[in-house]
Amino acid sequence: MSKGADIDNARPRAIAALAVHFRDLDIAEDAFADAASAYLEKGISADNPAAWLITAGKRKGLDAMRKRNAEERAADGLALVRDMTEIITFPEPIQDERLRLIFICCHPAIALEARVALALKVICGLPVAEIARVFVTSEQTMYQRITRAKTKVRDAGIAFELPARKEWGERLDAVLLTLELAYTVAYQDAAGERDDGLSAEVARLAAMLAELLPDEAEALGLAALVGLARARENARVDGDGAMVPVSQQDTTKWNIAAIEQAGNWLDQAAQKRAPGPYQVMATIQLTHARRAFDGQVDALAIAQLYDALVALRPGPMVALNRAVAIGTAYGAQRGFAELELIEQDASIVEKLEHARPYHVARGDLLAKLDRKAEAAEALERALKLDPPSAERLFLQSKRDALLG
Amino acid sequence: MQFTLLINENESVYEGEGGAKLMEEVVGKHMALIEEMQAANAYVGGHRLLGAATATTIKYKAGEGTLHDGPFAETHEELGGYYVIEAANLDEAIGWARKIPVPGDGGIEIRPVWQNEE
Repeated sequence: MSKGADIDNARPRAIAALAVHFRDLDIAEDAFADAASAYLEKGISADNPAAWLITAGKRKGLDAMRKRNAEERAADGLALVRDMTEIITFPEPIQDERLRLIFICCHPAIALEARVALALKVICGLPVAEIARVFVTSEQTMYQRITRAKTKVRDAGIAFELPARKEWGERLDAVLLTLELAYTVAYQDAAGERDDGLSAEVARLAAMLAELLPDEAEALGLAALVGLARARENARVDGDGAMVPVSQQDTTKWNIAAIEQAGNWLDQAAQKRAPGPYQVMATIQLTHARRAFDGQVDALAIAQLYDALVALRPGPMVALNRAVAIGTAYGAQRGFAELELIEQDASIVEKLEHARPYHVARGDLLAKLDRKAEAAEALERALKLDPPSAERLFLQSKRDALLG
Repeated sequence: MQFTLLINENESVYEGEGGAKLMEEVVGKHMALIEEMQAANAYVGGHRLLGAATATTIKYKAGEGTLHDGPFAETHEELGGYYVIEAANLDEAIGWARKIPVPGDGGIEIRPVWQNEE
């Protein structure tokens, strides 16, 4: 493996160990960067790059702190001794501190968006410029947001210890929600115009969480959901750059190993007997993915899964997707009737008016009912809501087919 | 480390019919909470404040202060009291804050206390 890959792979563990050691995310990041450049200058690769980088990082961080705080030399002396023993006793199994770091970066006391940014920056090492692009903001604004989040971690008393298992509830929810937003952001653009870096990192993060929390059914469910989206990435856009909906994707472009991995995660999750929305969402996607194996999609099963999802996580978007699923399973007539039920609530319609999926779903059902002019009008409305280019191309060709 | 828990509440729930009874219940819960905090060596201090109608504020503009009748922020929720507690970390502080009774609308702001380096 190349030294660069060594560093990338070791990053989450090494940063986590350094953050816990120094109890400061900034010092940990700087120390890791220094250790990484030392590693690149080193003659040969280390047997255990993570251990090497952690040990070197501890020394680098200490040097930096010493420079920063000349009057604290006496205290440093003690730390140095501690540090030396660690070098002497090396190599020994290093504790895996990644979960602690994830819980720190995803603490519910930090605003959700800032949590995502912090996790992407600190755990994944994504450059601030890229995170800024993902959140459609300036690099400077994003830099400030991350700095503020780090300051809060340092000063607000956010624990560097892992909370007791029985207190995980709210903390774990915050972790999952952070990852869900990262996932949503990574896949909001069908064509992946924002480049592959983000979705790869989100998939890595989700897999890491499933590995670290093998007993949490929803963590496994979320990993499966993210994994399935990633498995279909290469099939999401056709040769002209237009979006391809999942039902029409070329299954030979799907990553079968990734789909199987997601299936395993869901099996593992099912054994915990703790159903939740992520597991249901992932199961819906897995049902779509079955087409790669036997060419079939069980539309009835998908409609039933949406019933479950509406119960677990009610909301206009889920209700909308359920209406579409019912349309596929039982015919457009029934799907459209479901849509009209949703539309009876004026406050929901007000929200949906600004959501592309609403107009697309409406257009889809109307087209199936052969109400072509209305269908084209619905798609026109979706097009006015500024879709990313792959989706725009897809919607345009759909609309043109209706008008033609 | 020490945290201050600032209790901001809509006072109107304690007005009108049943208000006095509700207040009695809430005060009882505060007393029980204080005992619990003391037993856990978490209680440092705290006070219940008189209503926002009794507040006087010196408002500053470019360092120049003038007196105002009323609380600092004109919102529906007013600072009604505070605790100062000792807690190992934010999660522990949040745990105590969640035990503060707020029967109506409001919020508990959790703020770490500035710690002087010795």
